[in-house]
Amino acid sequence: MPEENVDVLIIGSGHSGGMAAKILTEKGISCLMLNAGPIVDVKKDTEMKPAYSLPFRGFKEPGKLPHVFQSNEFNANTWVDEQEVPYTYDPQKPYNWVRVRLFGGRSLFWSRQSFRLSDYEFKGKSHDGYGDDWPISLADLAPYYSRVEAIFRVKGRPEGLPQYPDGNFVLDDSPWSGCMQRFVDAGKKAGVPVCKARSSEGVGGLASSVNLLLPDAFATGKLKAIPNVVVREIRADKNTGLASEVFFVDRLSRREMSVKARVIVLAAGTLESTRLLLNSKIGNSSGVMGHYLIDQIYGAGIVCSVPEARDGKATPGLMGGNALIPRFRNIDSKAKNFIRGYALNVYSSTGPMDPRNFAAYGEELQQKLESYHGSAFGAGIMGEVLARYENHVSIDKNVVDAWGIPALHISTKYTDNEFNMARDAVDTAVSLAEAAGFEVLSKNYDPNPPGYSIHELGTCRMGDDPKTSVLNKWCQSHDMKNLFVVDGSSFVSAGWQNPTMSILALAMRSSEYLAEQMHKGNV
Amino acid sequence: MRRRDFVKGFVAVSAAAKSVLAQQATQVAPSTPPPVPTAPGPVPWMRGLNEMNRVSPDVAAVPDAIAQTSARFFSGEQMVTLRRLCEILVPPHKGYPGAIDAGVPEFLDFLVGASPADRQRSYQNGLDWLDAESKKKFGVAFVDAQPAQIDQLIRPWLRTWMSDHPPTEDHAYFINIAHSDIRTATVNSKAWSDAAKAEGERSPNMGVYWFPVEPDMRRECAQPAAHATKKHRA
Repeated sequence: MPEENVDVLIIGSGHSGGMAAKILTEKGISCLMLNAGPIVDVKKDTEMKPAYSLPFRGFKEPGKLPHVFQSNEFNANTWVDEQEVPYTYDPQKPYNWVRVRLFGGRSLFWSRQSFRLSDYEFKGKSHDGYGDDWPISLADLAPYYSRVEAIFRVKGRPEGLPQYPDGNFVLDDSPWSGCMQRFVDAGKKAGVPVCKARSSEGVGGLASSVNLLLPDAFATGKLKAIPNVVVREIRADKNTGLASEVFFVDRLSRREMSVKARVIVLAAGTLESTRLLLNSKIGNSSGVMGHYLIDQIYGAGIVCSVPEARDGKATPGLMGGNALIPRFRNIDSKAKNFIRGYALNVYSSTGPMDPRNFAAYGEELQQKLESYHGSAFGAGIMGEVLARYENHVSIDKNVVDAWGIPALHISTKYTDNEFNMARDAVDTAVSLAEAAGFEVLSKNYDPNPPGYSIHELGTCRMGDDPKTSVLNKWCQSHDMKNLFVVDGSSFVSAGWQNPTMSILALAMRSSEYLAEQMHKGNV
Repeated sequence: MRRRDFVKGFVAVSAAAKSVLAQQATQVAPSTPPPVPTAPGPVPWMRGLNEMNRVSPDVAAVPDAIAQTSARFFSGEQMVTLRRLCEILVPPHKGYPGAIDAGVPEFLDFLVGASPADRQRSYQNGLDWLDAESKKKFGVAFVDAQPAQIDQLIRPWLRTWMSDHPPTEDHAYFINIAHSDIRTATVNSKAWSDAAKAEGERSPNMGVYWFPVEPDMRRECAQPAAHATKKHRA
């Protein structure tokens, strides 16, 4: 017999699964965590190597990971292999599904940008009439954001802008570098707020589930974790109608197993959680499961040079640093050809210039690279993608993964609202950079394919009405009270914000609610 | 880790395992594991290997920095054109090697030859086009054209561009992608690394390489060609 009963089974070990495990175990609830991939041992699994010693000289292995633009020959083995876990799409609607199955998931490799959603996101429909409001507001989530920000040590500066809600920060009171100050001043003249960026400092350089959340959970003695098991199905009990048993396969041995649990918490990442629910045929009485897939627009932006920093004249006082322009469109005024808005990530660098910024070759290019070294300044979009019913995922019955589990078919595309927004972002960045006296070298108006941001959200959206939403405001299934989905699937809208802080705060809130309900005997 | 204990405990409840256990009830379960077969000699095969007495991986040489490699993918004419293009786009500079010294034409023959068909076509068509244009405009093969003539062919197609968004026009795509590939293959070469070391750069082109983390051996065997899947299937 199993040595003890599983109170809560958590599927996934990233930010959301880690948070669920921490909260639940600290409240005395025993948890079992399943993760589809192995535990990383950085000492054993990595080595410093020169590019020339790799089989493809640092080029991506041909034909490998074509949808993971972030991959290269150094890190190729950290991503989910697209042949091992395939997905499909219509060739007219490409989608980049970027996945990590190592223990800790994508919390191992994220870019640390740490933002709160504002009521321009939670209550977007009330503001402009589009889409749906969330069943919660910033006030509901704010206390949880504060606690998450403390754990992740979010560095930032209060700005007092309603669309860029302040938080519980490690104060960033560093001065702007010279070039950033010029950009801030240009923004002020144009009515565009240029603010301090916000990012998780973490501990020891890492801000991951594996060092900030899971150790607390393991320390309670209440968490067990099994790596290398791929869940194929959640089955409901015929008598109670509740989720009761999870079936999984050992990734390496192919041995089939199952485990029963009182409560099941899905934290496998938006699209894997939804794929599992769709394959299990549960929790979808509303019919909206898989719909309203959203992400964020990335890829459009500009690269400039700060003339005063050229020819060896760059100093740390002039160059370096980051800034963030939070959404400023459609707050007090109305943009002419799109709704909602975008943020711009702004950076400057003291390093080498990318040669692609010069239409030159040979000796001429070398001279440019030397002259422009240390003068780089750039800005890139993070834009809101509208939630639409027709952007959806479903099960592709004709394709299975390495363990015979039916694959996901993804059907989503951007529309004029996204393209117009990207165009406005680039034009705005160009005009601010030129006003600051920078030379614009390159610009790109075309967003990367959907999915590239690795911010896939929605597909099990939350709401008060069980007919139009999959989860309630506690990330709890409307259909099965002992089924929770605590990753990004519950999002009603995406905003422009990197979603990590919001996923963590929602997972924390949802897990505390679950613990309370379990103690009351309601679940 | 208590994983084994957990799995053991768990298997005991599955229906199949229960029936197995029922049959075993009358038998005596083996209490010791089967013995490990011994090596056919006086010394066990794996004795004595440890961190201290192994060959350091640092002594390994890079084969294509030493050995001749034969071009296999591009035609003779294409290879000659590619060589000239490499010479023009990335010449040697202040002690750093050019693309030719870095073995780039031979490397690209290998890389493009191993690549999906669209990349192969882009290179083959691009190199053929350069040669044909040179013959048409200047009456000589690309390899024999003067730098100023080659400049006339290339310059109209040079663009500035950002990551993942190369220019889409036919010739501009090839020229800019080839330029980027030739440069990257040069900068990532052993020859470049040696030159950088000589210039006092500490760790040129070093990166954190990730080995496969517990790879699924069964899949490695079952999947022959990585890029054999259909286009629409990710």
